[in-house]
Amino acid sequence: MRFYPVDIEERRELGGYTLLSYRWPDGSVQPGQFVMARVAGYPVTLDPFLARPFSFYDHDGEVASLLFEVRGRGTALLDRAPERIEVSAPLGHGFDIGANGTPAALLGGGIGVAPLKILSRHLTARNVRHDIFLGFAEARFAAVAAEFPGSKVATVDGSEGTRGTVLDAVPDLDRYGAVYACGPNPMLAAVKRVAGEDSVCQLSVEERMGCGNGSCNGCVVPVRDGGYVRSCIEGPVFRAEVLAW
Amino acid sequence: MVVRERTTRVDLAVELCGLQLHTPLIPASGTLAKEALGEVEGVYGAMLPKTTTPRPRAGNPPPRIAETPAGMVNSIGLQNPGVEQFLKDLDAFDVGVPLFISVAGDTVDEFVALCERISSDERISGIELNLSCPNVEHGGLTFCAGPASVEEVVAACRAVVREKPISAKLTNEGAVENARAAEAAGADALTVINTVPALTIDARARKVLVRGGLSGPAIKPIALRAVYEVSRAVNVPILGSGGVASGQDVAEFMLAGATAVQIGTTSFVREPHTILEEFAGFLRDTGMSAAELIGALR
Repeated sequence: MRFYPVDIEERRELGGYTLLSYRWPDGSVQPGQFVMARVAGYPVTLDPFLARPFSFYDHDGEVASLLFEVRGRGTALLDRAPERIEVSAPLGHGFDIGANGTPAALLGGGIGVAPLKILSRHLTARNVRHDIFLGFAEARFAAVAAEFPGSKVATVDGSEGTRGTVLDAVPDLDRYGAVYACGPNPMLAAVKRVAGEDSVCQLSVEERMGCGNGSCNGCVVPVRDGGYVRSCIEGPVFRAEVLAW
Repeated sequence: MVVRERTTRVDLAVELCGLQLHTPLIPASGTLAKEALGEVEGVYGAMLPKTTTPRPRAGNPPPRIAETPAGMVNSIGLQNPGVEQFLKDLDAFDVGVPLFISVAGDTVDEFVALCERISSDERISGIELNLSCPNVEHGGLTFCAGPASVEEVVAACRAVVREKPISAKLTNEGAVENARAAEAAGADALTVINTVPALTIDARARKVLVRGGLSGPAIKPIALRAVYEVSRAVNVPILGSGGVASGQDVAEFMLAGATAVQIGTTSFVREPHTILEEFAGFLRDTGMSAAELIGALR
């Protein structure tokens, strides 16, 4: 797997999350595509050994950004990265925003809000009307909602917005012609159940990844026709009806 | 292209079972998807796609991988579309270098049927027997659980594969005894070693996270010792495998006795191009060819 060193532009704390921006002037990025990122490779870091997958939070043609929560050693190192990180991108299949119904609902759960920023920007550029709904465990994380003007927020502990999950912040999901969601897999399964039968529902899954280029078969999700497919190649965005949840 | 320019002054070629390999590097089975072939153009002296089985296998439910220090534990479960679909898709891996196919079955008969099915395919240069899968006729012990089992399956495959080399892929445990048995049964080569049995636990959830095989630089010294000892016990060539992460690692495996060296988990985090360039640099520094390096410990 080929990684490229990139210069960090900015590091911001957004509530419980870190927003890391870096120079990425090459090529275009589709909403929902992802990055494998690390502070350095072998032999500088043998532990953690693998890179980490992150959705593109945004990309304006010059600067790309990643939103993440420090959960383990890999993300802790990225959070403290002084000047450069290494990335491999853009990877995977993102959201299909070409032929969907309107209006669109964008649902993010926890760190799953990440791809909604670039998705919202692309939808706006296409004049697609859309509403954004964000769910968090608590208010500390909900601070990132300020980056999504007009979004509706739910927190599980009720410390901000509606008490409950992101679905509790959506009064009528079945009236939307298109549903885009990213978050923990149980949340995505719930979104799939609630989304209107006629809507185009696309889910960006969260899986542990080894390689990011299809080789290790570690990041699979179960599909309706039986068996598993790789979230790094066939995903990470899937049409809801494809998944066996 | 860069690799070729920078390696023209060194001789990377090795001969493996009568096949000419322009480099001693081979992808370890199950670590190179066809989608990633573009990244490794010109690097590998032979190709080796993911293990195929008689019928499609869905593989194991997630979680399938867990990162560990200097490596990872995987339990993929031989997910693959089955041999018929595998052969339809095989052209992607037919890139002008010898093509080895890794096969696995639940029984000796399945190994034999697979070997018969693929051995006449002109695209295929050789077969690697993945002996780390459970033998359902022997209570689920793997085919390389002991020399008798190794000998049985290798001999049965040898009987139907007359003109193409067979390499028996062995685990670390019992490698020397199993290597002798495989050689006696007619194996042309040995792949040493497969992943090392390992377990990860999620302490907070009090659950087993992944029970599978450890790979990556963490197992390199284990693999190196197995290659070293097997090479002293048999006369057939060895495909060294296990934690190879750098050009120097390639040199170490060849010095220990390997004729070719497989790159697996490290290809997820490094470019195999880089490993080949490092190895070429090593040869340039020492003034030796790759072939001269094999077993050349002082």
